[in-house]
Amino acid sequence: MFTRRDIGKLVIGAGAVSLATPFKLASAQDRPTLTIAVDNLWQNMATINGISTTSRRIFPNFYDGLVDRDYINDENGLILAPKLATSWEQNGNVWSFELRQGVLFHDGTEMTAEDAAFTLSADRLWGPKPFEPRGKTFTDGFKRVEATGKYTFEIETERPDPYIPGKLTGYMGLVVPKKYYLEKGVDGFGQAPVGTGPYKVTTFRSGEVMVLDAFDDYWDGAPPAKQVIWKIVPEFSGRMAGLVSGEFDFIVNIPTDQEATLEGYDKVKLIRATASNYPAFAFNTRPDPEDNPLVDANLRYAMVQAIDMDTIVQALFGEATFHPAVPFNFPEYGRFYDPALKPLLPYDPVKAKELVQKSGYDGRPLRWHITRQFYPNYEAAAEIMIEQWREVGINVQAIVLDNFELVYRRPFHLMNMSMSTDFIPGDPYQPLWLDWGPTASRSTASWKTWDPTEKFIELGNIFERQTEFEARKKAYQDLSAEWQRVTPGYYMWKSVYNWAHRDDIEWKPRADGEMRMFGDYLKLS
Amino acid sequence: MTRFWLVKIVRTLLTLWFVLTFAFIVLRTSGDPVVALLGADARPDEVAQFRSQWGLDRPLYEQYARYIAQMATGQFGISYRDGRQVIDIIAERVPWTLLLGLVAYLIAALVGIPAGILAALKRGSTLDRLIMTFAVFGFALPNFFLGILMILLFSLTLQWLPSSGTGTIWHFLMPAITLGTFTAGTLARFTRSAMLEVLDRLYMRAAAAKGVPHWKRILLHALPNAAIPIVTIIGLNLGQLIAGAIVVETVFAWPGVGRLLVTAVSSRDLAVVQALVLVIAATMVVANLLVDLLYGLLDPRIRVAR
Repeated sequence: MFTRRDIGKLVIGAGAVSLATPFKLASAQDRPTLTIAVDNLWQNMATINGISTTSRRIFPNFYDGLVDRDYINDENGLILAPKLATSWEQNGNVWSFELRQGVLFHDGTEMTAEDAAFTLSADRLWGPKPFEPRGKTFTDGFKRVEATGKYTFEIETERPDPYIPGKLTGYMGLVVPKKYYLEKGVDGFGQAPVGTGPYKVTTFRSGEVMVLDAFDDYWDGAPPAKQVIWKIVPEFSGRMAGLVSGEFDFIVNIPTDQEATLEGYDKVKLIRATASNYPAFAFNTRPDPEDNPLVDANLRYAMVQAIDMDTIVQALFGEATFHPAVPFNFPEYGRFYDPALKPLLPYDPVKAKELVQKSGYDGRPLRWHITRQFYPNYEAAAEIMIEQWREVGINVQAIVLDNFELVYRRPFHLMNMSMSTDFIPGDPYQPLWLDWGPTASRSTASWKTWDPTEKFIELGNIFERQTEFEARKKAYQDLSAEWQRVTPGYYMWKSVYNWAHRDDIEWKPRADGEMRMFGDYLKLS
Repeated sequence: MTRFWLVKIVRTLLTLWFVLTFAFIVLRTSGDPVVALLGADARPDEVAQFRSQWGLDRPLYEQYARYIAQMATGQFGISYRDGRQVIDIIAERVPWTLLLGLVAYLIAALVGIPAGILAALKRGSTLDRLIMTFAVFGFALPNFFLGILMILLFSLTLQWLPSSGTGTIWHFLMPAITLGTFTAGTLARFTRSAMLEVLDRLYMRAAAAKGVPHWKRILLHALPNAAIPIVTIIGLNLGQLIAGAIVVETVFAWPGVGRLLVTAVSSRDLAVVQALVLVIAATMVVANLLVDLLYGLLDPRIRVAR
């Protein structure tokens, strides 16, 4: 049967000649306009309420963070660099920050410590009824945030937290103007955001387009483009046609099976980068439904040992990514990463069969809830895995559903998920503790899939308090071992982001998905 | 006559109430907007705050009463997605869909009706078969398929037309043709059969016997008499046009009501979906009323019967 893509390939096969015209960058007045065709724009561009993959790619173009991750000099972005904060130092429970002077918001007001302190304040992120409640996720242990001078402020935490600068590289470190924010309210601000970034938002229609104009008073110099237009083009054929014909300068989200087609065009460059994110599935380890056979860890072990994920990843992605054999042992964790570590549950179908027998599993179907087309190649991998499980006597049914709301509805035995790894650069805190700990939605929501064991909580509390590297690494390994003993989930591969742009543009992608249209990340010829 | 209009108005209001209630029940029972809007990782306190802010923590009957009261006073509410007035959001989009729909209708009428007349006049000929083959293709081809095919051909391969969005008159062409093709095909077929029925009537022979020129017989005698089924189809096809707009606007990134509906449904922006359902239902009701009125104008016998 022909699919839309097959038809597309046939027509594309007729060949095409690109009319893309390279623009000239003669002077600041003659800067080009860049048009970027995206699959979606998040509805709200407030820094916390607007958290999503689609907004993250745009945020750094109009917001600046306090601290930056340097992906130019380190592919894992483990070098922390000054941004709006020029220096910082820790004194026990208190971190002191010094801000860059003379930085202007897009509304012309100067950024001061009042704005930075408000950005991280209890009123906004972590108080009893904050403006952006999700801020609590990132501000665990915050006790006081206060401006101590026009350009200095302090963060006090309940216990010493060496990772505060690293945490400020993320969403919560994006500074907002206090006065304007309070005037507009969160929703109003999210529709007309103001930051200190190299571009200012001049038009935002969430279902359609966002237009950014160069902010020539930017503290780090005028940006290279006069205007950057982020235009929603939901259909991939439209994005591809627009790039090839020169309507667009960049496109995002190229289906894996269309990459080769796109690469076949002249004057188009395809770029891939592995992302700080791992698609996975969670086992429902709880007796809900009552007769859930996955309550028995042996069946979960069997399911893990029945999967030949290296082969699946190779077949679906080639060399573009890899399967992390040992959970949480991810290369982006620098010194925490140990390439020699062996998995506790390696691929072993014979062992898997024995474990199935040991579990007493009676062959009843296990429901695997999967969100339709949410993670590239997930459904294809699921089909192969279901066959591999069938070979060891486990009967899994993939139930592909339209959205997460449906995926979360019980009963289910397995559920798709993904986890990011970059909340603290170079540290496994997020995927291991923030996302599986006792306050995580995975442990608390109506759709929760596990109850953290007492030992996991005890080890997690130890891990959270360790600030010296060796002690923290040991605590991380212990916590990871306890997670693997329970095996409440399975990490499949490191996500791959892809983009394409005109080949006369030099652009460097980032593992966090940000599309920076300025600085060392973009060179226009 | 007054009774006729009273019945029509009451029936219209009942239809709209039924549509509003149906939309309310379906949207409330088919999924939780909180997960769609706040994302999979929303914290429980964030979810609670959202529910309280939008009154989703109230009993269903209370939500319904408030919703009906709101609608009765012409207030469509505020979008959950971006906090803007729903009426403003819809007002931004309606002109784009209207414009696209009108151009598509124009294309459909200019192509479909003459093609149908020609096929009827050349009944049984190769031309007739050719026109009817294209007509069948026209209404059998799914919109998304035709749209993508056109993008790949005219934007990617030939690079004649812009692939998506708005801005110039050229941006209209592909979406309008894609949207109008179905209606053109349908109109061609209905015009042909309506014309064939009329062409065999006695008054047509009488006109010919009186020496009325051929073109006059077709345009002034046959076409007005064949108009009723054609007008009916045009009215009925308005629904198809709206349904088609949902697909076509998505394929061509056209900023109209159809695309708004898709994003509002997928993100469960209840206020927007409810308002759009009402707008679409009202459009359909008004279109049917207009068709009824046109019947009266086109055929005095219907007017008299009322």
